[in-house]
Amino acid sequence: MKYLFIVIIFCLCLFVGYVIYTKYNKRKKFYSALIMLAEKLSVEINFSRERLKILIENFDAGTKKNLLGIDEGFISYLDKKNELTISDIFSKANCLKQDEKEFILLFLKTLGRSDVENQTKEISSFLQRFNEKKEETEKEFKKYGSLSLKLSVVAGLFFTILLI
Amino acid sequence: MLSKILPEKIWGIIDRKVNLKAVNEIRFRTDKPIIVCVSGKNYFLSENGATSNLSSALFSSKIVIEDIIFRASECSIYSVNEQIKKGFIVTENGVRIGIGGNIVEENGVIKTMTNFSSCNIRIPHNVKNCSLSAFPFIVTENGIENTLIISPPGCGKTTFLKDFVNQLGERNNALNVLLLDERGELDTKLSSNFYDKISFCTKKVGFENGIRSLSPDLIVTDEVGQEEDIDAILYASTSGVKVLATTHADSIETFCRKPLFQKLIQEKIFHRYVLLSKRNGPGTFEGIYNENFSRILNKF
Repeated sequence: MKYLFIVIIFCLCLFVGYVIYTKYNKRKKFYSALIMLAEKLSVEINFSRERLKILIENFDAGTKKNLLGIDEGFISYLDKKNELTISDIFSKANCLKQDEKEFILLFLKTLGRSDVENQTKEISSFLQRFNEKKEETEKEFKKYGSLSLKLSVVAGLFFTILLI
Repeated sequence: MLSKILPEKIWGIIDRKVNLKAVNEIRFRTDKPIIVCVSGKNYFLSENGATSNLSSALFSSKIVIEDIIFRASECSIYSVNEQIKKGFIVTENGVRIGIGGNIVEENGVIKTMTNFSSCNIRIPHNVKNCSLSAFPFIVTENGIENTLIISPPGCGKTTFLKDFVNQLGERNNALNVLLLDERGELDTKLSSNFYDKISFCTKKVGFENGIRSLSPDLIVTDEVGQEEDIDAILYASTSGVKVLATTHADSIETFCRKPLFQKLIQEKIFHRYVLLSKRNGPGTFEGIYNENFSRILNKF
């Protein structure tokens, strides 16, 4: 019974560490995917001038899954099925901070609202900020993501020793 | 289609409380009442449908207008900028939305329009047999006569053209019709199987390319209004291709005074002039005239 309890505590520590690790990893991957989406939009709007919905739907499926559902929320808005609000767009993006959500919402609000030249300029100005955020999240990941995993193992061992 | 463009509340009212089949236009102006044109007459739009009472009218806002234009462009204004530069957007099923706002010019070239302040949604209708009264005067034993449909805006010129093409399709299978659809308004719900289409290009380009590549017997086109359109019509007439076109004027007298058309009038290029009004609703015949402007069909 005692050993089972120790195993549970150890696993719990690992789980907490993993959750924290995943959060930072998700944030890092999210900004990479967002940058790829914004770059694709900028290029396609310039050359093909294809409709926004089609561009987003045709975005690489592998990368799209890292967008934490904001692509789906935005397509629903384009289809008039929901509003362009933080609660509707970011329902699956809990790892993002409030100010980040507001900034991304501002980006989505500018999409499709102007001619090619202005749209491209707007996207590139948002891209600058997204790149800064990407660097930030990469640093965060290195700093806290990996650390949280290591700490969770240490904490698990600590409790194991304590309980033995 | 309107359900995709209009705000839900307004669409709900129009769908449930206004006879959509009779609606010609819906107008939105910033901070002004929404106007709905039903059977050629303007009303305010209220919670209970069309009304003449201003106090119950619903008002439009800048946000509503911007959203309508955004939705009409399928949420991609950049993709319809060429149309916006000309002051309108045409949706996939031929609904034309005229736009008012600030034109952005650079070195004398229109770059785009911003700061939208009004829009006018024109709803096309197919009125079966609306061209029938004029049909025998246009399609005679000599073949098809070059014909110009004349009326002020919103009097059924485009509807006339569409029905005429359908009537031709029903009667004369051997006739090749070229639809020169500059704004994407003509090719909606056409039942004829005997027409080709060139869309979203100038009349000059459309006439030249169409005559060269598609060998039409008749070119049908909307809204002649520029010098190069006149040249295109002259080019068609010297190429042995008949033309059915429309233009804006409120009477034959006004039309005859237009400098743009003097060459066509003097050379008697058009053999028939059909004058329409909305006196008894859009599409009312005010008369059909020959090349000498003698009336050959009186008003209805």
